Amino acid sequence: MKRRTFVKCVGCGAAAMAASHTELLPEFMRGVENACAFDFTKQLSTVEARYYRKLEGGGIECELCPRHCRVTDLERGYCGVRENRGDTYHTLVYGLPCAFNIDPIEKKPLYHFYPGTTALSLATAGCNVNCKFCQNWEISQSRPEQTNNLDIPPASIVDVCKSRRIPTIAYTYSEPVIYYEYMYDTAELGREDGIKSVMITGGYIEEKPLADLIRQLDAIKVDLKSIREDYYRDIVGGELKPILDRLIQIKTAGIWLELVYLVVPTLNDTDAEFRDLARWVKKYLGADIPIHFSRFHPQYLLRDLPVTPQRTLERALGICQAEGLQFVYLGNVPGHHAESTYCPKCGQILIQRRGYRIVQNNLNGNRCNECNREIPGRF
Amino acid sequence: MSKVVVVKSQDRELRQPLTRAEYNLFLTAGLRALTGEPNAVAALRKLLPPGVVGMKTNCLAGKANSTPVALTEALADMLIKTDRDANDIVVWERTSRELAEAGYELNAASTAIRCLGTDANGVGYSDQFYSYGEVNSLVSRIITRVVDFNINLPVLKDHSIAGLSAGLKNMYGAIHNPNKYHGDNCNPFCAHVANLTPIRLKNRLTIIDAVRVQYNGGPAYVGSYLHYYGGLVIATDPVAADRVGLEILEYIRATNNHPPLAQVERPVQYLKTAAEIGLGIAELDDIDLEVLDIDVTGNAKEGTLF
Repeated sequence: MKRRTFVKCVGCGAAAMAASHTELLPEFMRGVENACAFDFTKQLSTVEARYYRKLEGGGIECELCPRHCRVTDLERGYCGVRENRGDTYHTLVYGLPCAFNIDPIEKKPLYHFYPGTTALSLATAGCNVNCKFCQNWEISQSRPEQTNNLDIPPASIVDVCKSRRIPTIAYTYSEPVIYYEYMYDTAELGREDGIKSVMITGGYIEEKPLADLIRQLDAIKVDLKSIREDYYRDIVGGELKPILDRLIQIKTAGIWLELVYLVVPTLNDTDAEFRDLARWVKKYLGADIPIHFSRFHPQYLLRDLPVTPQRTLERALGICQAEGLQFVYLGNVPGHHAESTYCPKCGQILIQRRGYRIVQNNLNGNRCNECNREIPGRF
Repeated sequence: MSKVVVVKSQDRELRQPLTRAEYNLFLTAGLRALTGEPNAVAALRKLLPPGVVGMKTNCLAGKANSTPVALTEALADMLIKTDRDANDIVVWERTSRELAEAGYELNAASTAIRCLGTDANGVGYSDQFYSYGEVNSLVSRIITRVVDFNINLPVLKDHSIAGLSAGLKNMYGAIHNPNKYHGDNCNPFCAHVANLTPIRLKNRLTIIDAVRVQYNGGPAYVGSYLHYYGGLVIATDPVAADRVGLEILEYIRATNNHPPLAQVERPVQYLKTAAEIGLGIAELDDIDLEVLDIDVTGNAKEGTLF
């Protein structure tokens, strides 16, 4: 069967990734539930991008992310998916996801956001940073010509959610900031039909576009990759300061927020870093923000480092709990007790998880069913 | 010392853009001078052992300012005379669309000269990353698997970030993530991309088309900044070729009342970087520059760069 026909047959609930990524096919198959028809397309989008200004003497300056790429005719920004054509800036990936799947919301991970529900998850090619540990580099570090893209406009995404009773759309896998227009329009349409939207992001975005976007979103998970500026410069290819500013902006806006910190052996795993992180989070975001310490697996440009030892993750857990953070989780360690949510007041297990599966839920609404303590989140 | 040959002509009978036959005259004179061989075929035999030969074009700017089809045709004519099968010649670019828009006829068949982009069916990028310095990239399989040697065929032009777009910059079209390497005037990235192992090993010859040079507003085509120089820059040293190209570009800018690139925040520092990592010679004093003026009959005599 031709790949195109295959995708037509299995349609939604499947992931369409770059053709060479056959290792993803088993997961691809698991998502199959019924049929929809989405074709691969070679065409790129010509939708005008938002948040840019034209420069005197030619060229444009992108104002979407802190890079502020200055881009002349026929060139692209750092993300590889926004192109200047005659001094009009275009997004090349509007409606063209290269990854498309139905995931448990726990996979994002969002542990305090409607636990046990699913999210229609999608991504386009491209990213505005270049993390040496990227788990999805095949799509995030590619240009849209290099991925197999489905043609799915925002309305079709919402239709799939409605027909399949999927409560949430997750913009994820690569970096949603770079497909901002597609995300924004889909989220706005979804909101009209009661479909929630969550953004899984590195948070490298300017203040204004984030402020506008927050109005269409229901939750944001930010990968805070380090609390050190030099790590962002050397390992991520970005900057820390704007991301910290955006985290405060998100918290202030009142939208639900969770953090992930990928613990990379020898690069961001000292006690001092964990302590600095915990103190910053507690001071600026609050002690009740969930933070997930995730296990690193050798990938992309960091193939020579080992998997994060469990004891390192537990060290981070201990330090953050000692600093007063109330919801600290360990990720990619299936079966560990720190996958579950506990009541900070009475210690009752509130949501017991194993991997992405909810084993038991002892919440009464958003309160502990033992001591009635309110648990932050959306339940 | 690295040898660079510039073949140019102000002969008004030479039309612009040049025809296949006219490019033949330029190439013949230039390759003979570069190698000391009696004719172009012998020169190409000396430069390129038997095997599949690629021609990396620069087709970003469409038909108006891309590597001319006539140049690749003239070069292919000569390569075929070196007893090479036509199908062992591969004209290539980042995408097939760019080639087609520049006037190339695509051909991925097993007969005749091949002409295709890295995005053509069954091509794509390397499975492994190639790294040097600041660069980590997948490299076009046309370089890593299809060809044994490559001839770099850029056009000489201004670039809004790099300052100079010539041979080294053209290799951005051989990697999967060129958008990551445009910071800091493309320095050190231009040098480091060209030094990725398969690119460095397979690039054997650089021929910069400097017939019509866009001296400002590049890399896209802006007709108002076009200047007729009427030359080709030919060298085996990719850095030296670009260094001479830069000299020509700066001269043309000055002629047209444009400031040096360094004064408009586009200093071309990547050539020095390339020299420092051993990719070639970036000092003009260390380049053995031979300039030939040719006429419409192909007669060549010693000339000057400007």
